[in-house]
Amino acid sequence: MLSSIVQALLNGLVSGTILAVPAIGFTAIFAVLRYPNFAIGSLATIGAYAGWYANVRLGWPLEASFALAFLGAGIAAVAAEWLAVRPLEKSGALMMAICSLAVGIVLENMVRFGFGNDPRGFNVPLMRDIRFGDLRISPQQVENFAVALLLMALLWVALNFTRMGRAMRATADNPELARLKGVEPATVAAITVVVGGGLAGVGGMLVALDTAADPLTGFRLILSVFAAAVLGGLGSIPGAVVGALLIGMVEELTVLLLAPNYRTAIGFVVILIVLTIRPSGLFGEKSG
Amino acid sequence: MVNYLIFILVVAGVYALLAQSLTLSWGLTGLVNLGLVGFFAIGAYASAMTTKWAGWPIPLGIAFSILVGLGVGFLVTISTLRLRDDYLAIVTLGFAEVVRLVASNEIWLTGGTDGIAGVPSIVPRAWGPNYHITMLVIVTSLAITVHLLLNHLASSPWGRALRAVREDQVVAAVAGKPVVLLKAQAFSIAAAIAALAGAIYGHYTSYVAPEIYQPLITIYVFLAVTAGGVGRPLGALIGSYLLIGFLELTRFMAEVVPGVTPVQAAATREIMVGLALILLLRLRPDGLLPERNQRAPKPVAVHPKGTTS
Amino acid sequence: MSLIIHRRQLLAGAAAGTALLAAPAIVRAQAGPIRIGTLTPLTGSGGQYGPGMANVVKAVADEVNAAGGVLGRQIQVISEDDQTNAEAGVRAARKLIDVDKVTAIMGTWASAVTTAVAPLCWESKTFLFTVSGADSITQLPHNGWLVRTQPNTTLQGRKFAEFCLEVSGGKRAFFMMPQTPFTQSTFNNFKIAYDKVGGATELLIYDDKKPSLRTEVDQAMRYNADCIFVGGYLTDTTVLMRDLFRAGYKGKVVGPGYSINQKLVDNVGQPEATEGAYGMLPSPQEGSAGWKKVADLTKQASPDPFACQIYDHVNLALMAMAQGKDATGQGIRDNVRKVSQGGGDKVDNAVDGLKAIVAGKKVDYDGASGPCDFTDLGDISEVKFRYEQVKAGKMALVRIA
Repeated sequence: MLSSIVQALLNGLVSGTILAVPAIGFTAIFAVLRYPNFAIGSLATIGAYAGWYANVRLGWPLEASFALAFLGAGIAAVAAEWLAVRPLEKSGALMMAICSLAVGIVLENMVRFGFGNDPRGFNVPLMRDIRFGDLRISPQQVENFAVALLLMALLWVALNFTRMGRAMRATADNPELARLKGVEPATVAAITVVVGGGLAGVGGMLVALDTAADPLTGFRLILSVFAAAVLGGLGSIPGAVVGALLIGMVEELTVLLLAPNYRTAIGFVVILIVLTIRPSGLFGEKSG
Repeated sequence: MVNYLIFILVVAGVYALLAQSLTLSWGLTGLVNLGLVGFFAIGAYASAMTTKWAGWPIPLGIAFSILVGLGVGFLVTISTLRLRDDYLAIVTLGFAEVVRLVASNEIWLTGGTDGIAGVPSIVPRAWGPNYHITMLVIVTSLAITVHLLLNHLASSPWGRALRAVREDQVVAAVAGKPVVLLKAQAFSIAAAIAALAGAIYGHYTSYVAPEIYQPLITIYVFLAVTAGGVGRPLGALIGSYLLIGFLELTRFMAEVVPGVTPVQAAATREIMVGLALILLLRLRPDGLLPERNQRAPKPVAVHPKGTTS
Repeated sequence: MSLIIHRRQLLAGAAAGTALLAAPAIVRAQAGPIRIGTLTPLTGSGGQYGPGMANVVKAVADEVNAAGGVLGRQIQVISEDDQTNAEAGVRAARKLIDVDKVTAIMGTWASAVTTAVAPLCWESKTFLFTVSGADSITQLPHNGWLVRTQPNTTLQGRKFAEFCLEVSGGKRAFFMMPQTPFTQSTFNNFKIAYDKVGGATELLIYDDKKPSLRTEVDQAMRYNADCIFVGGYLTDTTVLMRDLFRAGYKGKVVGPGYSINQKLVDNVGQPEATEGAYGMLPSPQEGSAGWKKVADLTKQASPDPFACQIYDHVNLALMAMAQGKDATGQGIRDNVRKVSQGGGDKVDNAVDGLKAIVAGKKVDYDGASGPCDFTDLGDISEVKFRYEQVKAGKMALVRIA
């Protein structure tokens, strides 16, 4: 029994890491632009298709396909932000959130119009798991895990050691002050949206690698992404990572110890409990 | 054609009820309920189970569904009281998913994914077209009644207190408003309205099942309220009829687009729906009927530090 | 079988009466094309199956129109999207019934959509053909206004179990399926068959939206099954097959043909991961041309069972209207069993069938999804199954039985 619990936690760690990528994207956009971007699911779908197109149609290796997934979703995100959401800045965060919902509907159906509903599988060899005694781990998932970790590390470096990164953090902390210090909010917002949308895209491709790309790839993911971001505290990048890992592990333990069909539900019960104790999530801002 | 129009008007009336619910919780109080469809489902089940299985008379079943909506709404509020708006939005989204999962998996309680078919109708279905006309009268008058009540509430001192909570909880609390109580009242009553809509829809279509209550419905109601005007009960009412009218209109618009496959036509329809809302928000950010006493030009969500404006 | 004969005698008696009653309707509806509607999921979770289904109906209508139509009138197909959602589906059905005045709606997929749409159909005398799996559908008080081409769970559950027992040679099966209106009853019937031979089986209901099912697969591995039945749809079965392969599962895998098919093999990518998996789908007699026809129409070597079933829906609808000389829903309701069963010239497509009917012959349609003989309730009374196995990355026919 102990080994099966360890195995479930290990599985949760892997699925949580993949979940963390789009969750970081979602929370980063929230941190700087101050609204929950509900188009994140469709952005993940666009990333999955961009990656699939690069990998299968163009025959690119996975690394390059990840880059296209990032770019494709990032560009879609910034275009939608500029054309649809940003003009509503004065109407408040919730109007922007509703608008992003509409953007999500449009993007998902543009994908559907172009590619139809048939799932598109990637061209990657599937490997058997490596066994350590009772435990097993998939080399592929280790790779995905590594991609996710690498992205997080890159992001951490960018946020802490580049001028733009510092500007982003400053804007997230206090936009007024950041403006006074000479940070151009529009540029910061644009870059945040590209990075946030791009991360969602990579997350979509990571998921599609294991399933297939179809117009609902992102939609299936969003409940868990939202859950992870809220659990960690909206706007907190470390929070999104921890939240995603926790959600991943709680869901796998639910399968093992409770009922597999209540995976999503138990995740939300955990959120409710955590938020009752800490209303702003694990790493969220205290006041509010 | 007439039957179709009548049917569409009945459905729009049900959406209008849902939109009134959202106006109360979101528009007036600022509580974003992304789990609206969960309360819609709970109301439908409460009335269907009691009337079909326990043999209760329909008015009693509907009254029971309102009570259950009120009760569950209250439970959800007390467990989410301390949450910020954006957190509440996502937790309520999860709530609707939990409702759907429980309805699907607890077969002993709800009948499972099979749902409950043959839910008794309010007037006999055998009346044919007259059945739909009678239902149209019932649903429309319900929507108007709820709307008038809400209008009355909105302009009462209670309604003004809700708005104060929406604009700034801290200021409202300092001014001596019982913020927690006000929120709980508004959210529970809103949940009860959604439950009423669910009960009516269940009796009208005579079928209740978990798969009916998908997030799509919540999204549509949000679109309707946003289009009509947040915070104005009349806006939500009109927005619902416009939304359903537009959803149906896109069917005919998609049919005339030449050279597309059925799936492309379906995608085109949904793109039109999304684009229409984006355009509307762009041209009339406060909806077709903006709230009369203009809110302060700042975001609805209360943010700890700074604002976007 | 006796039920059907009884039914036929009844119908023969009633036919004369209904023909008389229906006469004014025929005169009224004589002008313009005959309209039929498809209501399949084009968006939402059923979106992988619905578009192909709508295309099959259009293709059949084109062929029939090229051959002169039905009763001298052209066929017009109107395809609506049910969005895999009952609320949207009901609105779409209402439009098909009241605006387009279709004689039949075909292809409803999700059981919730079918159950919600069925009352509208029987109240407005529009015939409903469905592929939904829930047993409860034919038990609705539909009074003959719907038929279902998907075998019921009593039949499917038993057949699945018998085949699992046969190919695995063992007596332990693990049954994995998402929650659907036919999950529990399919499993119950599956279990009965395993119990009968002293075998053991266990059900695991999984969440089909998850991108990884590793812990679920661990549960299956711990059960030490010699056969795993995978009962989901294409997307989640792809995840399941990959995770089973990774876990090093060596036993047999059996599943329905709508998920174990060429698309699954292509999606999973790695040939070994699906090699040897079995798919089962309802089928006509060996050598029936219907199945081959759908393969041509959909340009797939192995078409999915829903495309096969809707092919039968449209053929039956058109022939029933011709048989009754009544291009209405009533015409289909009263004549569908006259063209689907009870002996006569065997036909497997509407073009041939319509010619035979015009020539005054009795036809008995055997379609792409089976012989299409219906009980009074609207269930199919008997069906063979087509057993396929993935061999060298292609679906290969094992047998039809």
